[in-house]
Amino acid sequence: MSQKAVSSFDEDLVRSISASLDEPAWLTSSRLDAFRQFAALPPEKNPLYTKYVSTFSFPLDRFKIIPGRSEIDFRSFFQGFLTGKEKDIILQGNETQVHTELSRDLESQGVRLMSFHAALKQEEAAIRKLIEGRLVKSGSDRFAAFVNAFFSGGTFVRVPTGVSLDRPLRRMLLLDSPSTSIVEQTFVIAEEEAKLVYLEELYSKGVPSPAFVASTTEVLARPGSHVDFSSIQLLGDRTTHVSNRGIETSNDSKATLSSLSLGAEVSRSRTNFFLNGRGSLAEGFEIFFTDGKQRYDYETNLVHNSPDSTGSTQARGVLKGESQSIFKGMIKIVNAAKNSRSYLAHHAMLLERTAKSDGVPSLEIDNNEVRATHSASVAQIDEEQLFYLMARGLSQDEAKKMVVLGFFEPVLSRVPIEQTREGARFMIEGKWQGEKRRLADRETLLAETGELTPEVKETEDIFERHYKYR
Amino acid sequence: MKLEIKDLRASVEGKEILKGVNLTIGQGETHALMGPNGSGKSTLAYTLMGHPKYQVTSGQVTVDGENLLGLTPDKRVKKGLFLAFQYPVSVQGVSMFSFLRAAYNNSRPAGTEPPTIFEFKETVAQKLKMLSMDDSFLSRYLNEGFSGGEKKRAEILQMALMQPKFAVLDETDSGLDIDALRIVAEGINTVSGPQTGTLLITHYQRILKYVKPQFVHVMYQGRIIESGGEELSRLLEEKGYTWIQGYKEEEQVAQQTP
Ligand SMILES: Nc1ncnc2c1ncn2[C@@H]1O[C@H](COP(=O)(O)OP(=O)(O)OP(=O)(O)O)[C@@H](O)[C@H]1O
Ligand SMILES: [Mg+2]
Repeated sequence: MSQKAVSSFDEDLVRSISASLDEPAWLTSSRLDAFRQFAALPPEKNPLYTKYVSTFSFPLDRFKIIPGRSEIDFRSFFQGFLTGKEKDIILQGNETQVHTELSRDLESQGVRLMSFHAALKQEEAAIRKLIEGRLVKSGSDRFAAFVNAFFSGGTFVRVPTGVSLDRPLRRMLLLDSPSTSIVEQTFVIAEEEAKLVYLEELYSKGVPSPAFVASTTEVLARPGSHVDFSSIQLLGDRTTHVSNRGIETSNDSKATLSSLSLGAEVSRSRTNFFLNGRGSLAEGFEIFFTDGKQRYDYETNLVHNSPDSTGSTQARGVLKGESQSIFKGMIKIVNAAKNSRSYLAHHAMLLERTAKSDGVPSLEIDNNEVRATHSASVAQIDEEQLFYLMARGLSQDEAKKMVVLGFFEPVLSRVPIEQTREGARFMIEGKWQGEKRRLADRETLLAETGELTPEVKETEDIFERHYKYR
Repeated sequence: MKLEIKDLRASVEGKEILKGVNLTIGQGETHALMGPNGSGKSTLAYTLMGHPKYQVTSGQVTVDGENLLGLTPDKRVKKGLFLAFQYPVSVQGVSMFSFLRAAYNNSRPAGTEPPTIFEFKETVAQKLKMLSMDDSFLSRYLNEGFSGGEKKRAEILQMALMQPKFAVLDETDSGLDIDALRIVAEGINTVSGPQTGTLLITHYQRILKYVKPQFVHVMYQGRIIESGGEELSRLLEEKGYTWIQGYKEEEQVAQQTP
């Protein structure tokens, strides 16, 4: 494998990436299709940023798209990020060097946790089917097309039929070298009646330096299965992060996405939930906290294609400094999806006059026998709340911190994964104090904080609220 | 030790509300402050606590000779001041438990070790019992969805934990049913022993049956226009504020006539 600096994005590059990864011809031609769509799509525009109106104008020529082979020592590279007790985890340090640890008992049950290309070698036919039936379509999104054409790695996770895992599968990406670029595809599949929890963590360490992380993620919850997907993003201050996700539910299956975004300079994320099975359930819990000049552009859509499906997405963000965010979301219910329920909410809190946020929810509904509603709000932190807390002896900073942490709770307390819930609180608090923390397990949290404050569980049924559309 | 307010003037959004308030509250004393709606009672309470919206234009507020003006609310707490809000604020996502714990830890004398979570739980349990409040309050969001009376109890719970030297209770009796009034009043008495000075803002005489004031003051248009003993509250209850208004105006006329 050669270490090639990329100066332009063209078919030759597609071919050379594919060849260097020793890929079958069908994959090369799939990449070329994606490339043509990428080239045909107009640059994406958004009021929040100018940095990557066109990916070509993003200084990608400074980024290596194909990795060198220099080996890193995972143990020392991930020092401070791992406790050493991790069991089922796939680690990636910079570009595409991957290290996997999967317990024998899971392996013998047929659980897969491996790099995309390792999976390609093992089960080409299955991968081909996934690629050909992609949820994240090249034609719909320029960055999706970009990743589908130029990806240099990725992760493959599958839990076979009937297997129910009682501990999470994890994946950690850690960047530390300047001009790193990660372009990757992830597939997470729960076969029929399977159950899995997947924790994805993206971090940077060392001196902040320009980096680019672009990914597509596909989550498939086959009939009767249950997937809890958690994504933690704490990339470095100078990283551009672009993500496209497609999450599909089938008959009587359930998929949840819990995301915590704290890092990166620019983060642009699209998530589509496809409720493609009768009686299926999809839930999104999205939390972000920005400061400085961070720019977040998020969009989450709930697409109901089947009857009796229930979908919801709740996002909460707090913005400090001169950071900005936009959150778009759409509920789409097709005619066939009768008796579906859908809920979309976005609430943002601004800590300074210089911070900005917008919420743009919308509905597109073709069946009258459904219930759907959305709500959005953007407000400055409440001075009366701060005064009340200060009148109880909290300093202004402590009072703000308490109000901010509280603001996340109505969403955070619903996150189904304990480690994400507790870890997110710890990480948000860290960001408030200017510390970069990582997702820690309960033992580590207890060791570092001494105690965990008892949780208040949000019990209100979101579907019992007022409906705009019934 | 005393809380002294001297010729205090304060405005909100450019409008003067307090027009020279004078009041001294000694340790162990209970003062009732009455007066019609809009006369400036809550403004006085907020100004004492240091609400940023209320600008002090002149005057002095001292505790034990130390100036409070210019201090942020949290620093005033450390000087021993407490305010029970007329309208307690609710904060979503903040559990009553962690809030009370923060309030407790932040009002303790500097240099003392904060209690462990278990010790604190015990302390709170006692105070809850005193106020006939259920444990389940602790696992709710701060004041969220609390009934009017529950909020008032929760204010006294906070006072009980913070053990202030001077407490301003702004209409803590409003919205309480008959039993709750007695429980809350007994709570106030228990918490505010001989160490505490209390300023009880109220519209009704009924709480004064339980919490006996040595002094009663009447505020009118940003000033304390009359002070007296407990009998003043009875007179007010009988005759209403128009009486004291008329009475004051007569007095002024009398003074002006040579
Ligand atoms: N934040 C504010 N903005 C504008 N006006 C205010 C503000 N706070 C108080 N005021 C005005 O100041 C005056 C005094 O109000 P304050 O709340 O102190 O009265 P009060 O004596 O406590 O009345 P009540 O018995 O109804 O509680 C009123 O005219 C009120 O409208
Ligand atoms: Mg008032």
